[in-house]
Amino acid sequence: MVWFVQCVGIFLMLTLSPLMWGISQTVKARMQGRHGPSIVQMYWVIAKNWKKETTVPEFSSFVFRLAPSISLAALMVVLITVPVAGRVPNPWPHNLLTLFFLLALERFWTGLAGLDSAGTFGGLGASRVTTLGTGIEPALLAAVAVLWRISGHTAIVPLATVLHHNPSNLLPWLLASASLAVVLLAELGRLPVDNPDTHLELTMIHEATLLEYNGRFLAISQFAMTLKLTAMITLGWVIFGPDLPSLWANLAVRVLEVGVSAIGLGWIESRFTKLRYFQLPAYLAAAAGVGVLAFYLLAGGLTL
Amino acid sequence: MNNTPWSQANQALKESHYELLCLTATADDTITATWLNPADGSQQSLNVPVIDQHFPSLTPTLLEVAWDEREIHDLFGYLPEGHPDLRPLVRTPRWPERFFPLKNASVDPPPWRALEPDNPAVTVQGEGVTIMKVGPSHAGIIESGHFIFSLIGENVLHLDAHLFQNHRGVEAQLEGLTVSEVAPLISRLCAADTVSHQTNWALAVESLSDFEASQTLEWRRIVLLESERILSHLNDLAQIPAGVGFQVAHQRALAIKEYWQRGLLLIYGHRFLFDTVKPGWAHPGSAEDMIALLDAMAPKWKAWRALVEGHHGFQDRMEGVGIVQPIDAVHFGAQGVAARAAGKAFDARTVLPWYRSFDLQPSISLAGDVKARFSVRLNELDESFRLVEQACTLLRQKGNLLAGNDLTQGASGRVITFTESPHGLNVHDVVLNAGHVTRYHVRAGTYRNWPLLAKTVAGNTVADFPLINKSFELCYSCNDR
Repeated sequence: MVWFVQCVGIFLMLTLSPLMWGISQTVKARMQGRHGPSIVQMYWVIAKNWKKETTVPEFSSFVFRLAPSISLAALMVVLITVPVAGRVPNPWPHNLLTLFFLLALERFWTGLAGLDSAGTFGGLGASRVTTLGTGIEPALLAAVAVLWRISGHTAIVPLATVLHHNPSNLLPWLLASASLAVVLLAELGRLPVDNPDTHLELTMIHEATLLEYNGRFLAISQFAMTLKLTAMITLGWVIFGPDLPSLWANLAVRVLEVGVSAIGLGWIESRFTKLRYFQLPAYLAAAAGVGVLAFYLLAGGLTL
Repeated sequence: MNNTPWSQANQALKESHYELLCLTATADDTITATWLNPADGSQQSLNVPVIDQHFPSLTPTLLEVAWDEREIHDLFGYLPEGHPDLRPLVRTPRWPERFFPLKNASVDPPPWRALEPDNPAVTVQGEGVTIMKVGPSHAGIIESGHFIFSLIGENVLHLDAHLFQNHRGVEAQLEGLTVSEVAPLISRLCAADTVSHQTNWALAVESLSDFEASQTLEWRRIVLLESERILSHLNDLAQIPAGVGFQVAHQRALAIKEYWQRGLLLIYGHRFLFDTVKPGWAHPGSAEDMIALLDAMAPKWKAWRALVEGHHGFQDRMEGVGIVQPIDAVHFGAQGVAARAAGKAFDARTVLPWYRSFDLQPSISLAGDVKARFSVRLNELDESFRLVEQACTLLRQKGNLLAGNDLTQGASGRVITFTESPHGLNVHDVVLNAGHVTRYHVRAGTYRNWPLLAKTVAGNTVADFPLINKSFELCYSCNDR
């Protein structure tokens, strides 16, 4: 039964990710006073690109052709390790550190592909993506360290279970979740760090590495992008959200939670402007700093 | 080279704070520099003959004419002696070698050459410097400009902008046309500054025909010119938030602009105000409808102004970015918002006699950054709302029907007219002979600002280029004459 629900959950995440993207796009459009494209537009975009002819830059190598598949594969693994149906034992490794490694792998290949595209903006985007990565990773690790210190685990299920049955350490727990939320905006390439909707090549971060892609490769990259959004938000809710006794109820609540988060994301993106590029280290350092502070509070024996 | 009487005379006028209207070459081997005295609106013209295809360059002592002289070199084949940078400006390597369209247009040009490399670019050499080329086709719906950045990491060391990608040869096309044939072409010179261009042409013909404009005509033109400024400034203000991902402000400003354009369509029959000013005439519109439109716009505009002025993230993002030094604004002969936001107070409207009774208050800032240009535009927009309302009220009280004036008959002579377009001082140098154009030179506001933009961008991060570029919001079409 657990298996079945987990599989349904993974299937739902795979199929609903473009919709989640559409929800946040629609919220943004409405806040701008526009009607905006259909909420299911992302499905059509992916399907359209899938059907189009695929070309590759003249001077690119196998790296360019391999990168989208590797990114997608890394995110698929992330997806199946998230215990979407609830905190039930998961037979395959689902350590948070593995998960962050997979995200780093995806970032690494995205950057490599940007360089390999031999386009002007690809190189710029690759430089920016990897530079941001060096700020994102310490912040993620600091947050994981806090969670580990509270629960004694880095595997998702036992970690979440302990957190929920041990409601002391509320302050460090809150600080760590705030730090994670802030750094996830950077990891997902959303405002105030990166603007996924812009056409201004010079300001792009993640999109700049994708500029030379078209056809199937672009469809894969776009699908991976939506998948990353859904997987990360789901993971956040699994760790920090409520857990119901019924698996099916859990799954339903999770879908609802992700939908609400997509609305929230659209709202946040409408409120903020993009930070200056050289302000981003401070933004990420603040997130890491909060995580480190939470860790010291715990190490100092503070319990609240 | 710096000591020719020609360069000394021009230098002296620059030092007395005269404003250079235009540097025009004519096919009879003469170069004319026309200066405006901003204190009393009087003009002073200086001439130098072109001898054996050569004339002394002013650029070494008068930086702002660098482009004018390059353009003369490209289109007339006159060589400015002593010019430090004679790379092609308008020409491309495809042009036939001895083809100078404004000098020997009647001669059948030799065939166009096959596709060749781009014009040479100025780039920085050295370790760690990367060259980034952007355009001439862009991702958004914008015009063609080829930007060659020299970067060190994220920082811009140098920007070489290759514009004039869609040169239309309008000046050559205008030669030989009769007065009645000119207006539609001038009206389509540029959609952003069209009323200003049309008014310049109308003023030129009226001045050469000794036509005395009535107050009603002047008020109508003020309503049209300021309506155009409102349209253009709304568009420019909308683009700045887009440069920092502030989509809410971007889209809402575009919605206000759309509202304004629909109003213009109802009142004047055209969304961009094409064909609304002609010699001796201006579209009457409807003062009542205009005032109603202004009243309907006011709450939307106030809400938007409050949104952007109250958004700290947005305000912070504009501060200290793309700073124009006041001394550069003077040396480059900057015009319009870019100049006024860097302490150069010139606004051609204060010189034009028909604006006098309106008590115009130019908006000035000393900061020179994106924020300064943004707020100068905000203030100018409010001032334009006031001017339109005032002119419409006057039209309603004292305006009368205008008799149609036929100013198409054989005027002759040369005149230089100017207005303040949304993008700055807009100048037309018109030579008529018995009702036919023999030379028409357009020097639009953005012409002086493009080189200044390139200078300003150096030292900023490349990710801020769209923001800085949009705060200047320079016109490509006015260059691509």
